[in-house]
Amino acid sequence: MSHKSKEVIKKDVVQAVVVAENFRNDFAPITNDTPLALLPLLNVALIDYTLEFLSLGGIEETFLFCCSNVDLIKEHLEKSIKNSAGWSLTMKVNIIISESCRSFGDCLRDLDAKGLIRSDFVLLESGTIGNIKLLPILKKHNEICKVDKGAAMTIILQEAGVGQAGRCLHEELLLVSTLNNRVLFHQKLGRSNTRKIELPLEILVDNSAVNILHNLKDTHIAICSASVLPLFSDNFDFQTRDDFVRGLLINEEILGSTIYWHLIKGSQYGASITNWRMYQAVSREILHRWTYPLVPDMGISTRENNYTHLKNNIYRNKNVHLAKNSNLVEDVIIGSGSSISDGSQISKSIIGENIKIGKNVIIEDSFIFSNTSIGDNCTIKHSVIGSDCILKPGNKVTCGSILGKGVQLPKDKFVEDSLVQSKKPEGACAADKLGEKAYKLKHTDDDEESDSEEEGLVKQLSRLHIADQEIEESDDESVASSKSDEELSYTTSPVPDDTNLFLTEVIDSLARGFEDKLQCDNLILEINSSRYAYNVTVKEVNFNVVKAILMLPFQLSTGQPYLHSLRPLLVYFSPILKNYIRNTNAMTDCLQAVQEVASTNNELNECVVTVLNWFYNKDHLSEEMILSWFSGIDKNTRFYARVQPFINWLQEAEEASSSEDE
Amino acid sequence: MLLPEFQAVILAAGKGSRMPELTAGKPKCLLPIGGKPLVWYPLHKLQQSGFNDVILIVAENQKTEIQNAIDRTNLNIKVDYFSIGDEELGTADSLRLIHEKIKSDVLVLSCDLVTDVNLSEVVNLFRQHDASICALLFHPPSAEQVVIPGPKAKHKPERDLIGVDTQTNRLVFLASASDFESNVNLPKSLVRKHTNITMYSNLIDSHVYVLKKWVIKYLLHEKSISTIKGELLPHIIRKQLSKPKVKEHNLSVVNTKDSNDIFHYAGESESDSLCVRNASTYNDHYGDVKPCYNNDIIRCFAYIAKPDTYGIRVNTLPAYCLVNAKIIEKWDKIADGKELIRMDSKADVKSTQVDDKCIIWESSRLHEKTSYKNSIIGANSEVQNFSRVFNSILMSNVVIKEKVALENCIVCDGVVIESGSQIKNCLIGSRHVIPKQSVHSHEVLTVTDRLMEF
Repeated sequence: MSHKSKEVIKKDVVQAVVVAENFRNDFAPITNDTPLALLPLLNVALIDYTLEFLSLGGIEETFLFCCSNVDLIKEHLEKSIKNSAGWSLTMKVNIIISESCRSFGDCLRDLDAKGLIRSDFVLLESGTIGNIKLLPILKKHNEICKVDKGAAMTIILQEAGVGQAGRCLHEELLLVSTLNNRVLFHQKLGRSNTRKIELPLEILVDNSAVNILHNLKDTHIAICSASVLPLFSDNFDFQTRDDFVRGLLINEEILGSTIYWHLIKGSQYGASITNWRMYQAVSREILHRWTYPLVPDMGISTRENNYTHLKNNIYRNKNVHLAKNSNLVEDVIIGSGSSISDGSQISKSIIGENIKIGKNVIIEDSFIFSNTSIGDNCTIKHSVIGSDCILKPGNKVTCGSILGKGVQLPKDKFVEDSLVQSKKPEGACAADKLGEKAYKLKHTDDDEESDSEEEGLVKQLSRLHIADQEIEESDDESVASSKSDEELSYTTSPVPDDTNLFLTEVIDSLARGFEDKLQCDNLILEINSSRYAYNVTVKEVNFNVVKAILMLPFQLSTGQPYLHSLRPLLVYFSPILKNYIRNTNAMTDCLQAVQEVASTNNELNECVVTVLNWFYNKDHLSEEMILSWFSGIDKNTRFYARVQPFINWLQEAEEASSSEDE
Repeated sequence: MLLPEFQAVILAAGKGSRMPELTAGKPKCLLPIGGKPLVWYPLHKLQQSGFNDVILIVAENQKTEIQNAIDRTNLNIKVDYFSIGDEELGTADSLRLIHEKIKSDVLVLSCDLVTDVNLSEVVNLFRQHDASICALLFHPPSAEQVVIPGPKAKHKPERDLIGVDTQTNRLVFLASASDFESNVNLPKSLVRKHTNITMYSNLIDSHVYVLKKWVIKYLLHEKSISTIKGELLPHIIRKQLSKPKVKEHNLSVVNTKDSNDIFHYAGESESDSLCVRNASTYNDHYGDVKPCYNNDIIRCFAYIAKPDTYGIRVNTLPAYCLVNAKIIEKWDKIADGKELIRMDSKADVKSTQVDDKCIIWESSRLHEKTSYKNSIIGANSEVQNFSRVFNSILMSNVVIKEKVALENCIVCDGVVIESGSQIKNCLIGSRHVIPKQSVHSHEVLTVTDRLMEF
């Protein structure tokens, strides 16, 4: 133990963990044969951005988790090291292969078992890039840990207003934190359609002030204490980092761990490519130099800067052939060895290396990977063309189509909103075949479980962003205009009004009274005291007492038909009815109650004549009142038709009796 | 005559139902704080802020008493008394009653506010944004331990949840914490519109509100609203999220006039500020591409006073004790230049043991060989030989006989304490008579049936 202090002083190697797999299939069919880590982003593999970012951020050792296509990644890294890529000079990269891992959580559990990490580390999810200075944040996390022993993680977030392209719509984040950045509540709203956000009251009351933030995006970068890995191992249900955050917040007392967040400021940038839409947004942001110094003209992972940055954000490799009449509009990058022929127009697009573009081609908002040739008169909009593709002249590819590696489209095809791959998929029908090496894939291939509207939206949100303001705007505006007061109120349910409370009270009293065979006098006393407690009018009392008795059979649920269970009740509560139905006004109330219950409950509606007859025979209701009430009922209702025979009978009886008198 | 930009209204008809022991025999607004009745503080604040007149709403049966008390305080501000009946009226109800007197925007104060805040800062925020409502909020006072007279009880303060947009100071959420059981529901549209909200649970609502004139008109129409803080404010704050219905052109003019929509009242089409705003590039927020104020017609703002501001609402017993314990220390800032009169010239003080933390009101008689520390002796009170009064508040017309020891007590109007009594940490209700040689501690001493009225 004597040399322990020496070891502590010795500076730890700053470590990072990168999980290179996202365990989802968002990038099919491109990722069928290319690992996500090697997905070209502005003609450079994604992993190069990640590693370069880490080494610039001050990381000295990185553990790279790979689960599939490991050989390709290994080969790529070896090549980079041989070419002495920037990161390879200052950072050591260890590849960890664990093909058994099925989730992000599995990877971390595996890492825990290996015992490679000893201190705080930076954790990156797949496809994360940025230009954040990590060391100050690591230091800050360290300081927090000194104050709060339970601090497990600092998640790094960036400001992004509602509707910003780089804000992943899946991950609309609602964060509640204390003023010193401790996370209290973390919810990704993206998938939920709810219009209300439920915050536990205690987080608001236990802190004198909290921030409720909805202007942040998750960079998928986090600073972790060494305790994170054991926490993943102890809680094997943590699959993703969000599971981890949620689990820690819910079980804060049990796990004794806290989470903090850090807002990156100034020119720092972080983002994670989780789906095509984010791929599109991040590409644009790199073109717009948000990631500086990780921009094409500075050379990413190479020592040569092959690209020249021209006005309108056009990046051109030195080795590019442009025809005189070709037109690069804005936000375009063209890789080496590519050529563009006469009359072609390209805007907001990424053109890979060794691309041959024919005459009069229009390319907008699209991504063309390397070694592809595009024939004359093709139009490509809002689409991704994988590497080694051949598009014969006259093709039109639009609306979020993705063409996998090696697809060959014959002449004059029209591809819209489809995934296309070169190999024939299992169970493909004839209609899916576009050519010898072009087969359509179904979009909803893997998720068959639900085709709900929400699912559709989720799908849509993960694909390329085609037209502006279709989903976001509409939902925003409609919410604003169609808002009722009730929706805006903060409490969950409207306060039940006193009359309703009175009714339930009366039903309870009567049910108990009937079961325990209580004296009706006592029940009347009870009802009267409820009446004063809830301050209801005489009219409402009469109405609700009758209503309560008629509703009671549902409450007692004896299993017998309605009329069978109602009859003994009426007989039993006869004194109560007598007490309340004293005058003609009360009779009207009684009749209204019958009408209301009958119109909402079919059981009573069917036997309403019998019930009315009983009331009439027991002198609770007078003939005149029934007739005058009946004349006020809407003739088109079923209720009217039901009561009609009874009324006829009454009138006949009256005529008979009056004639007898004469 | 030129209309003033703001009219000031002080609500002083409240019954003081949160401290019935003190207000059983005295209007709440006349409770002594230091050397002045409570209502003097907001009146002086207004006078100091440049107001020449104020509408004071009082209860009918207390009007004369209050008027007499205010006349004695030598304030220059012209007080327009408006008395309302005895029935239980909410604060918004009171405002509704004086609507005929309201000709401009209104500054509403409660009579129980003691503060050193500069009101013009609140008003300026209101002016700056052409706001509908602007509320003044205080940070909670630093926790001070005062032994509250009366039985030991936990005084749990009422807490409000107040949401303020961090960028723009917009007041976007107001509710009482006790309205919720376990969850607070926020409309999603709220967090999408105000993406950075600070939700406070410890701020104190000063009950100082600047209201646009239309709010009073709306109040007149919306009869169901009876309190300002509990109903009117939350209602209008919520309405910030709605937009006026798009007008259909086919509708007849008469029809639209009849509409009960809040926007019918809040319309700002005729106001100059809208034109100015449309012409300017100013925006109150960043982070989205929405226009200034998100084009909201209704805009509520919160002015949170600086943390070193002193502000307290004297509406509970603990608050009353706290403010009296602090008043001498804070006097200079609160009264701003007004001299603190420790001993009224009309008082008859024969005692030599009066420390400098005591305030002696007019016509009180302090006999020889009596001792006072840290106490307030109200008007026409008498303390006879060999008695001592420490840390206590004697309201008016109190008689303390010989050899009485009084410590940390609040003694209401007209109380007589017979000789030889020792009373500590007690609250003595008005006109109560304490028999000889009584010993009490931590009690409320009062004629019980008097309290029953409430």
